[in-house]
Amino acid sequence: MAKKRRKKIHKDAKWPRVVSFEERDEVLSFWEERFGIPKNVFGGYLILSTSKNYWLFAAPEEIKPFQMLKVQTVGLLFTRRVSHWLKPTSTALQRFGHHATKNIVVLSPAELDRLRRERKMPFIVEHIEEGYVILKCGEKIWGCGLYAKGSLISFLP
Amino acid sequence: MLSLNEARTYFERYQDLIPDFEGFLAHLKEPLPLYFRINELKCPRPQIVLDGLARQGVKAEPVPGFPGFYRAEPRDFPLGSTEEYYLGYIYPMTISSALPVFALEPEPGEYILDMCAAPGSKTTQIAQASQDRAIIVANDRRLDRLTALVANLKRLGVACVMTTLYRGEQFPFGVPFDKVLVDAPCSGEGRYRQGYEGELLYQKEGHTNLPAIQKGLLVRAFDLVKVGGVVVYSTCTFNPEENELVVDYLLRKRQAEVIPCDYLLPHHPGVTEWEGKILHPSLNYAARFYPHETNSVGFFVIKLRRLA
Repeated sequence: MAKKRRKKIHKDAKWPRVVSFEERDEVLSFWEERFGIPKNVFGGYLILSTSKNYWLFAAPEEIKPFQMLKVQTVGLLFTRRVSHWLKPTSTALQRFGHHATKNIVVLSPAELDRLRRERKMPFIVEHIEEGYVILKCGEKIWGCGLYAKGSLISFLP
Repeated sequence: MLSLNEARTYFERYQDLIPDFEGFLAHLKEPLPLYFRINELKCPRPQIVLDGLARQGVKAEPVPGFPGFYRAEPRDFPLGSTEEYYLGYIYPMTISSALPVFALEPEPGEYILDMCAAPGSKTTQIAQASQDRAIIVANDRRLDRLTALVANLKRLGVACVMTTLYRGEQFPFGVPFDKVLVDAPCSGEGRYRQGYEGELLYQKEGHTNLPAIQKGLLVRAFDLVKVGGVVVYSTCTFNPEENELVVDYLLRKRQAEVIPCDYLLPHHPGVTEWEGKILHPSLNYAARFYPHETNSVGFFVIKLRRLA
């Protein structure tokens, strides 16, 4: 099997834009409504945006001097816009998912193995709304899945 | 390529510098112990990692004085293929390589430049030390190395870092940095031991003038930090030409003072005289770490403050 290639970072990446208050609220409301993660968990962070991606970045006192730098990446890829929906990234869920109170799918090690291998499996669970879910096994948060129509789909990298 | 039986000849010039020279040469035949750091930004409880590794037959003991650092046995265990690694709970890193960040003492809210950052062991250590609240610029001049750094930032879930691709000595002015770390490219003599025989940069790249590069990086780092700010300069090599002489150059060119630091590993003062050249007396506040005394990689660390 060919070795999975690391995605190259773009040499001429531009500084992402700092999102408006309304856009920030939209993204954080999604995290709050979907997973019960309070907005203040992201209190000290700015939300930045490139075309379809939202990034989380520790907020400096003043951002202007940093915007003079030609950057490759800024912060942690946090949320993506997928058509009309917002989708959390696995890496952000691994980092902040322990604040979540709902839409957490707890898998056994065998179920997690199968899901990682097959990417999609039949799955019925109560108290979980259809949509993006947090995949958890024991105390470890693995990342993002999609629960819909009696199936669980893996978005783990 | 320097083979191990040529080591005596190669390191002979440091015979007066390295304590217990015979013990040092004997130690080079032993493999480097395996250490890792737990990433508490992601790992809910250290015990999860320790239990997980124990199930795979790995015994991990905390390293006294190095919070979050563990020594793992067996030392050839592939930590990089564990799920603890995949989930960003651990970062394999030797203990002496943690010392420059201890000297830097990162605080939340500080503006910090990591000038030669890839692959990011110290960048992520700074991020952890500041609870992901320092504003860190991680710079490296090579795109392939920066790609590895970005992968590590993602794996460890760090949000306080931006990455840039400048030549360190040409890093642009404008950000009032509180602290700059220059973990300079070096000949890597401190890493030399059985299994690493070919890794000396001098040997590999032939005509690279490392001291000239290092001086350029250190002077730029000093000019980038605000007045009163801190620069930490480190290498993993013994050669005074890449260590004390580089800092001596800065002390002659700029108004800087050397700040003494405490370290929990055995160390020796920097040299103030080398091959007949008298160096700045405050260089004795620098710290030299030797592999046979620390059971790790040899290191040089010095902390400087910008006075004007």
